[in-house]
This record gives sequence, structure tokens and C-alpha cells, in this order.
Amino acid sequence: MSATHVQNAVRPLEVPLYQRKTVRIGLPILILLITCLSWEGLSRSGVVNPITLPPISAIAFAFFELLGKRFFWEAVIVTLQETMLGFVIGASVGLVIGAMTGTFPMFRVALFPFIVAFQNTPRVALAPVFLTWFGFGMTSKVVMAAVICFFPVVINTVAGLAAVDQNGRLLYKTLGASTRQTFFKFTLPSAAPITFAGIKTALTLALLGAIVAEFVGGSEGLGVLVKEFNFQLRVDMAFAVILVLASIGLILYGLIEIAERKIIFWVKK
Amino acid sequence: MLEKTDKADGSGLAISLENVDKIYPTATGSLEVFRSISLQIRSGEFISLVGPSGCGKSTILKIIAGLEPFNSGVVKVGGEEPRAGRRDIGFMFQQSVLMPWRTVRENVALPFEIAHDKSEKSKQRVLDLIDLVGLKNNLKLLPSELSGGMQQRVAFARTLALDPSILLLDEPFAALDEFKREFLNVEVAKIHDDLKKTSILVTHSIPEAVLMSDRVIALGAHPGRVLGDIAIDLPRPRTPDLIGTTKFQNAVKQIRDALAVTEVGAAA
Ligand SMILES: Nc1ncnc2c1ncn2[C@@H]1O[C@H](COP(=O)(O)OP(=O)(O)OP(=O)(O)O)[C@@H](O)[C@H]1O
Ligand SMILES: [Mg+2]
Repeated sequence: MSATHVQNAVRPLEVPLYQRKTVRIGLPILILLITCLSWEGLSRSGVVNPITLPPISAIAFAFFELLGKRFFWEAVIVTLQETMLGFVIGASVGLVIGAMTGTFPMFRVALFPFIVAFQNTPRVALAPVFLTWFGFGMTSKVVMAAVICFFPVVINTVAGLAAVDQNGRLLYKTLGASTRQTFFKFTLPSAAPITFAGIKTALTLALLGAIVAEFVGGSEGLGVLVKEFNFQLRVDMAFAVILVLASIGLILYGLIEIAERKIIFWVKK
Repeated sequence: MLEKTDKADGSGLAISLENVDKIYPTATGSLEVFRSISLQIRSGEFISLVGPSGCGKSTILKIIAGLEPFNSGVVKVGGEEPRAGRRDIGFMFQQSVLMPWRTVRENVALPFEIAHDKSEKSKQRVLDLIDLVGLKNNLKLLPSELSGGMQQRVAFARTLALDPSILLLDEPFAALDEFKREFLNVEVAKIHDDLKKTSILVTHSIPEAVLMSDRVIALGAHPGRVLGDIAIDLPRPRTPDLIGTTKFQNAVKQIRDALAVTEVGAAA
């Protein structure tokens, strides 16, 4: 009796293999396992020098050893401070300059050629100069991080403002909106999605800027640790710090993704 | 359910354009959209603009709303020079122009928000208008979650928010299905009649123009000009059953004939 109903039941659409959950999670894990095992094997079998390429297990030990060290946590805090300060300063200045460049044609004409020129200069080359100007302390790192994240924010703010819907502007005009209302209730949210993409890039770059500046010259921070461990031929420790840096990068990116989803909630991915 | 307010005075010219020229500057020089256009619209009148794409219909509405400068001629709106931001003009753009970060309700409430009107009355009016356009179950949806036709209905509700005495409707229901379009056209006619609006409708549908209007202006392109000014002598209130009448069909034919001049002219 119910057999006829079963016949009419809608068959779920065939899911491609690569979209299946088991495959999507399993495959990367498999690749990770293969990489780790061959790395371990390569290092232990003596094919490569275990000092230049320590086995994965040694790196894991080093990682947990690090977590118990006071100097490590101090370095984490220093690098995080440099990154965040640089990011906040660079992104804020970038937002203001970008907003002015995107709003006032005179500003755009005057500044844009320089912005484009700088954008295409490898800005990390400035790190030694900043070291000379601001010394071995945190300042030179903050400045490097700020300078490196300033540009994507400026460029994207200008692009975001240029993409604002002209009809929307006309609508606010017909409604008799003040300049202030038009800016805060229309222009700013309209430019937000593209601007935010620049801010996201900036955060990733801020960490990069801080680390490079630490390499060039510094006495504290995770970049300094990587360099020192390398000098001492403690490549396992150096890798452990790199692992930490990767985690910091991922966490920062995750946080800014959450912020993005909250702030520009209307953009669906 | 929509409250009546006495804003239009019901007499005299609400809008007039005299010998207006409009030239857009373009990358390759300049584009003469229309030359020496004259239009007179009495207060309380409903007129439609029909004509080929690019003949300057939207531009005329933008000039009246003070959004677009013109090169020569005289334009008066309620006895004054056109000026953007007078809240007695409700402009519904050809595109819906909804704010993607605002829900249906917040989009319709935007005009009140800009006018710093936080009264309970205005909040109720927002709900009434959304109800009018049949979206009361979609209050919290974002524009990206609406169909094109739903977006146009939100834009229409927003246009009515401040109860403007002049309605400029640029192809308002182009994205709607026949049935909803007819329903909303009847609503527009009702609002126009009951609340004594002065209305200009831009449409590509000649029957729609005839059904809605006291007069239909047929426009030609290259450069834009008035080809015909056809009075529609049909009783009000207008209802879709007028469509079958001879008077209606004659009016449609008159407009077709007026517009056909361009096609011949363009071919020559
Ligand atoms: N901002 C602008 N700058 C330059 N040219 C413009 C601008 N706006 C419109 N035009 C040009 O002016 C002409 C008239 O445009 P308009 O939008 O008024 O036409 P329309 O009659 O409303 O057409 P449609 O029926 O397609 O909406 C077109 O040729 C268009 O390319
Ligand atoms: Mg148009």
C-alpha cells in the first residue's frame, strides 16, 4: 500500500564526490598525514640532515616546550602589540586619507599618483630605514606594520567610494538629506564592503610587517625568536615559532571574518 | 487607510517646462538629449510620458526634481525653480535604489528617518504602506532576498512615505507581473484621485498610459521632442474594464500614430 508512495518520493540530487563531507574533511587530513610521515621518515632515515630538517615529532616537542617558556609568551605579546598597534594606526590613517581622496577630487588629483607609486613599491624595503629612524624598540616595528597596511586600506576605500551607486546619491538628495546624513547613512555603508576587503588584507600584512621589521633589527618578538633559534641551529624551535605565527595569523583572520560578518551583514557569501 | 492631507491646491500649474534644452557632456563631446521641450502640467493632473528608449523621459523627471541641470529654458515646480530635497516631490527612480543593508521596513522608513520624524504616526504609516504593496509578511527581509518586483514595490512604498503632492514615477512597476501591476496601477490611480496628487508616469506601455492619465505626452528621440499631446477623455475613477471601450482604443491608436512619426523619420 505504501509502496506506491515510495515510488513517488523525490530522490535527493546526486552529490558530487568532492562535495561530500567525508571527502572534504578526510582528504586534507590524509595529505597532512602523508606530508608528516614522509617528513618524519626523510629526517629519521638520514636522507637529509636532521639538524636542518628536524623530524616533525621534534618540532611538536619543541612546540610544547615553548608553551612553557616565559620568554616565549613575552615575545608573543610584543609581536601582537606591534601588529595590532600598527594595524590600528595604519588602517585608521588609511581610512581617513582614503575617504578624503575618494571624496574630494582635488585630493585625488594631488595624492593618487603617489599612492599608486608606493603601492607598487616593495614597502618592506623601508624596514632598515625605520630601524635607523626609530631604533631597535617596538616603534620601528609598529611603523613598518602601519605603513604596510596603510596602502590596501587607502586603495580599497577609494575604490569603495568610487563604486557608490549614483542613483542612491540622487535618492538621498530628493529626500533632503544633509551632507552628514548622506555620508553616514549612505556613502559609508555603500563603500563598506570593498573597504572592508582592504582592512582584511591590512591585518594579514600588519603581522608580516612586524615580523620583517623584527628580522631587520630588534631585541624581542617572535621574529627575533625565529632568527635566534636559526642561528643556534635549533631549527625545530624555529619551526615551532613559525607554527605559532601561523596560528596567530589564522586567529586574527578568523576574528576579522567574524567582525566582517557582523559589520557588513548584508553581503552574502 | 492612508490618511488624506491637503497639500495640493487643486488649481493652476503645478509644473511647467518652457523651451528646455538639455545637453549631457560626454567623453566624446556632447549629447543633445532634447531641444526646446515644453510641457504644462496642472495641479491635480495625471500625465504619462511615452517614447522610445533614450528620448529623455528619465531626464525630464530628474530636471523637475532638481537633480539635473538644464542648458536653457524655464522650469517651474509649484511656482519655484526646481530644487532637490523638497519633500513634496516623491521620486520613484527607474531602478529600485534600495539600501541593501536596510530591511524592507527600514527602507520604507528612510524618508522619515532623514526628516527626523520619529513619531508613532510615521511608524504606523510605514506599516500601512508596506501593507498596501502587499509585503507585510516580508518586513524583515533584506533587498537581496526580494525579487525585482518586490523591490519595486518597496521603492513605491518609500516614494509615498512623506505623502508628497507631486509623484514622479519612472517605470515604477516594470518588473511586476501583469496581475500585480494592474493592482498597483489601480492603487496609484486611487491615491492620485483621493489625495489630490499631481503625477507624472513614465511607461513603455501605451495602454497603461491611457488607463492612468488625463493626458499622454508622446516623445520622440534624436533629439527628444514632443510628438503629440493626447488628452484622454475617460471617466474617473479609472478601472481596467475601460480597456475594451472604443474611446480607450482610439486613444491608444492616436498615441501609436503620434509615435510612429519618429520611426518613419528615423528610417528616412
Ligand atoms: N548622466 C548622464 N550622462 C550622459 N548622458 C546621459 C546621462 N543620463 C542620460 N544620458 C543620455 O541621455 C539620453 C536620455 O536618457 P534618459 O535616461 O533620459 O532616457 P529615457 O527616455 O529615460 O530612456 P529609457 O526608456 O531607456 O529609460 C540617453 O541617450 C542617455 O544615454
Ligand atoms: Mg528612463
